[in-house]
Amino acid sequence: MMKNKYSFIALIIFLFVGPFLFPNATIAEMLIFGIVAISTNIMLGYTGMLSFGQALFFGTSAYISGLMLLGGFPLFLAIPVATFGSFIISLFIGYFCVKREGLYFICLTFAFNQMFYFIAYVWHDVTGGEDGLVGVERPAYIDTQLTFYIFTAIMFLFAVIALYKIVTSPLGLIFKLIRENASRAEAIGYNVRFYKLISFSIASTFTGLAGSLYVLIHSMVPIDQIHWLKSGDIIFMTLFGGVGSFLGPLIGVVGYIWLSDTFSIIWARWPLIMGVIFAIVVLYFRGGVSELLENLFKKYKSISKKTEHEQNIKNRKLN
Amino acid sequence: MTFLIISQILNGLGLGMLYALVGVGLTLILGVLNIPNFAHGVLYALGAYLAFTIANLTGSFYFAMFLSPLLVVLVGFLLESQGVRRLYHAHHDYQLLFLFACALIIQEIIIIIWGPIGFSLLPPPSLSGAVDLGFLIYPKYRLVLICFALFMIVCLYLFLTKTNLGAILRAGIENRDMVKVLGINVNVVFLYTFGLGAYLAGLAGALSAPIMGLTPSMGLDILPICFVVVVVAGLGSIPGAIIAGILIGLSQGAATIWFPEATNVVIYVMMGLTIIFRPQGLFGVR
Repeated sequence: MMKNKYSFIALIIFLFVGPFLFPNATIAEMLIFGIVAISTNIMLGYTGMLSFGQALFFGTSAYISGLMLLGGFPLFLAIPVATFGSFIISLFIGYFCVKREGLYFICLTFAFNQMFYFIAYVWHDVTGGEDGLVGVERPAYIDTQLTFYIFTAIMFLFAVIALYKIVTSPLGLIFKLIRENASRAEAIGYNVRFYKLISFSIASTFTGLAGSLYVLIHSMVPIDQIHWLKSGDIIFMTLFGGVGSFLGPLIGVVGYIWLSDTFSIIWARWPLIMGVIFAIVVLYFRGGVSELLENLFKKYKSISKKTEHEQNIKNRKLN
Repeated sequence: MTFLIISQILNGLGLGMLYALVGVGLTLILGVLNIPNFAHGVLYALGAYLAFTIANLTGSFYFAMFLSPLLVVLVGFLLESQGVRRLYHAHHDYQLLFLFACALIIQEIIIIIWGPIGFSLLPPPSLSGAVDLGFLIYPKYRLVLICFALFMIVCLYLFLTKTNLGAILRAGIENRDMVKVLGINVNVVFLYTFGLGAYLAGLAGALSAPIMGLTPSMGLDILPICFVVVVVAGLGSIPGAIIAGILIGLSQGAATIWFPEATNVVIYVMMGLTIIFRPQGLFGVR
């Protein structure tokens, strides 16, 4: 509980300091992908399901809200409709995916992702195909950099608090139970598939919410946002931050977006550098940044404990 | 119309053979090592690009077809021995991520070496041109491709069913721990499996170069198709992967006749139908 309190304080500080550290579009992207990573962690870290298709919900929802804004609908209608849309899609796809486990689940979510990619690719008249959906305009009241940031930050906080409530609720405990021992959960009487579907759906709905906000940053939806490579990035951001804690994935998002922004200016082939970083992290720092910090903290603690212990022994000898 | 249908079916068959080769490679790795090889697509692309370069350097198309898959095998060995093996004790999410990272790296290396523009590799004079089948005139290379891929699939089948190593691989898919208990060095088995999978991917890539050309995104495009092959086949089923690959190729060929713009979507329609009517896949047991 104490740890969470500190990380929430750190989060609030980050929300205030962030806009001064990073360019406007970057910080907005960080918050939006923060929602994605924290919600993906509900599924990945808490329930133990690795879905390789989260870009599907992100992209689809971005397209829906972009199209609604282009069609003249107000923003406060576009966001709920897009979020609800990804909820419905997640129920439909999740229904088929949660029937299977492990590798098959990964393959299925991956293939569904690419199915939606091709639909977006082929349906040129509506989605803009390869060029992406362009020309979406922000409503006037969030057009300035400050108001847009405040708007994103409020949406982000709303999502984080909602997700935190879910994680700390009995439902969150059931998710953890399924991760630790699915057959025992089944034996106790929980319908594991149903709860897996809920977990999948929660993650996907919030990913959809983030997608519907994404369209506002650059006023467009590039088709990359629904490609399976994006799903890989989402998984990486989540794992990079660390799936062990609630806010851990956010560290991964900040690191990932900062690194990719920095390298993409320097070199056109920046995904190569990101790939190398991915590989190094996976080979040597599997717990992610948050676990690295925690381990350092523990080590520091154990060193101080050790010296205390030695002191005690010395004292005893003296006595 | 009949000519169109027959030639499209033959096209689909050729495509299906390629899908079957890549799909079997992915299935082997998935079955024995228990990881989805996200680098499979880029190994396929690497096979094609290496074949292109070797054919240009030596002037021999056949030599390129022989050597490039073997070079891809070396890359596969490198990935397995340097990365995947270190991660066996970790959760398989991390092996997957490692291979995903490798896919990004190899993809970018391909663009750095060969540039972002596509190439085409022409078949040698002995294989170019068309043959008159009596009722239809059809490109010679595509016919040879179908026959050669079929030959490779038969070889693979014989290898898996008639040799000792093949039996070990199949046993590894069935029950990995039991293979370990029987005193077989699993590390070597894993290495060979990964190498064989990489070989099949590289070979399919090299064979596809003359008909589909080379584009930097070819690896990223083929990967989802491989996964659909695995899903339609049923996880870990090798005959399933062969049949599913050919079926998907044929349905793509058929789609070209009636709905040319939906050729890529039809793959996923097949997958959707499979999941609805036979969730375990065509040849899946569970």
